[in-house]
Amino acid sequence: MKHFFYLNWQSARHALAKILRQPFGSLLTLLMLSIALALPLSLYLTVSSIQEWAGRLTATPQITLFMEQSAEEADLAAVSSTLTKHPRIQSYSFVGKKQALSDLEKRNGLAGLSDGLTDNPLPDAFVVTPKTLEPHELEMLQKELSGLPMVETAQFDARWAKRLYGMVEMGKQLTWFLGAALGIALVLVTYNAVRMQILARRDEIEVAKLIGAPDSFIRRPFMYHAMWQGLLAGLAAWGLTSWLVLTANPAIHDFAQLYNERVDLRGLTPPELLIVLAISAVLAMLGARLAADHHLRQIQPR
Amino acid sequence: MQGMIQFDQVTKRYPGGNEALKNLSFTIDTGEMVFLAGHSGAGKSTLLKLVAGIERATSGGVIVSGQNLSKLRNSQIPYVRQHIGMVFQDHKLLFDRSVFDNVMLPLDIIGFDRRDAARRVRAALDKVGLLSKEKTMPIRLSGGEQQRLCIARAVVHRPSLLLADEPSANLDRAYALDIMELFKSFHQVGVTVVISAHDETLMEDYGRRIIRLKEGQFAA
Repeated sequence: MKHFFYLNWQSARHALAKILRQPFGSLLTLLMLSIALALPLSLYLTVSSIQEWAGRLTATPQITLFMEQSAEEADLAAVSSTLTKHPRIQSYSFVGKKQALSDLEKRNGLAGLSDGLTDNPLPDAFVVTPKTLEPHELEMLQKELSGLPMVETAQFDARWAKRLYGMVEMGKQLTWFLGAALGIALVLVTYNAVRMQILARRDEIEVAKLIGAPDSFIRRPFMYHAMWQGLLAGLAAWGLTSWLVLTANPAIHDFAQLYNERVDLRGLTPPELLIVLAISAVLAMLGARLAADHHLRQIQPR
Repeated sequence: MQGMIQFDQVTKRYPGGNEALKNLSFTIDTGEMVFLAGHSGAGKSTLLKLVAGIERATSGGVIVSGQNLSKLRNSQIPYVRQHIGMVFQDHKLLFDRSVFDNVMLPLDIIGFDRRDAARRVRAALDKVGLLSKEKTMPIRLSGGEQQRLCIARAVVHRPSLLLADEPSANLDRAYALDIMELFKSFHQVGVTVVISAHDETLMEDYGRRIIRLKEGQFAA
């Protein structure tokens, strides 16, 4: 058992030393791997940054209920009690037609507007703050509220937030798709790299088999080579995305500033980095294992 | 006592129909030193390959130190080979590493403690007279030296069975005698030794059993 760990430690060290000794030999593979990783990672960071910002933004979506002109005190009381009891409603406030008119006058400098009107044309209104942020549920709530007696319309003020949410969802899907596709690419790239290595060391493998090396012994250096390559590619991808975040952030700030918003493109958190490294190492080793299983069988001493 | 090598009605037919061995039965005892004689194509190499599990018998049983090779899975064959030392006519050395590292390979494979291994490698190199060249690359050795290096690699893990396929084929007589003496010394410490050659003059001096093959059968 001690020997087993010793052998593995030896192989791991030799494999790393080999990569470091010939950095340019592995550079092309490393570059391919790190780009394959950096693409979905960047998209992931972009999407999750937007989501974070959108989360702050839609924290208080509101639905405004406009009552019919003919609504009476009793109707208002009925709606108000429904709203109080409703489980998905956080709070609501009532804006009566008189108050609405005076607000309008104040806000727009239209003092004396009401003097010229015989009737107040504005309806009574409830401004409802729902508990949920999820667009689908908001829509359900809006429909439900617009069906209340004497409610003319229920207006959802943040339609565009729904669109944003949809786009974020699409971005997430795209991230998954890209991640899966490029994960497969990563496996294939290491498969090919290890295949080339095995073919280049054909004689050595044949001799090792002749003097009794089991497949696990022959496979080990290739597996560790792939593991290091996966880890290095993960680090390189992290470097690439960090660089992207650093260079893109000022531009994004300026752009968001135009809308009086603050949007930050975030970098990978340490746990995320660890996950990325683990995934890339495992995928690279998977490629190496597939290549070794396939091609070591073909090399038989004669 | 069971023999080290036991062939029981072994036939080997290569794809294409060429029958290299025909219904061959014999036993080589543990600790015996045996020569295999015959012209090239008589089946000597095939016989050795069957013993080492490099080829599998078409029919019949090949039993090496009590294990029936025909019944082993491919993945078990390496562990059989770890108890066998093999010397090849074309040496099969690795030219990308030093003499020392070539001899180290079998010990790495069976997983020897690194410091004991270095001592064993030097002992094996000393035995074949190459200790002073441990850092040399094999490409700079003469043909005879390369053959001796191959022998050092074959015996470094102290196998109980040593197989040599035409070990002296490309060497002049003085070198060939040197190498025969080496094999004799391994035999004297209890190793079973099987040596094939097409030149019988070298064998006759040793007074050992000679298995003569002709077209895959015992020669009359």
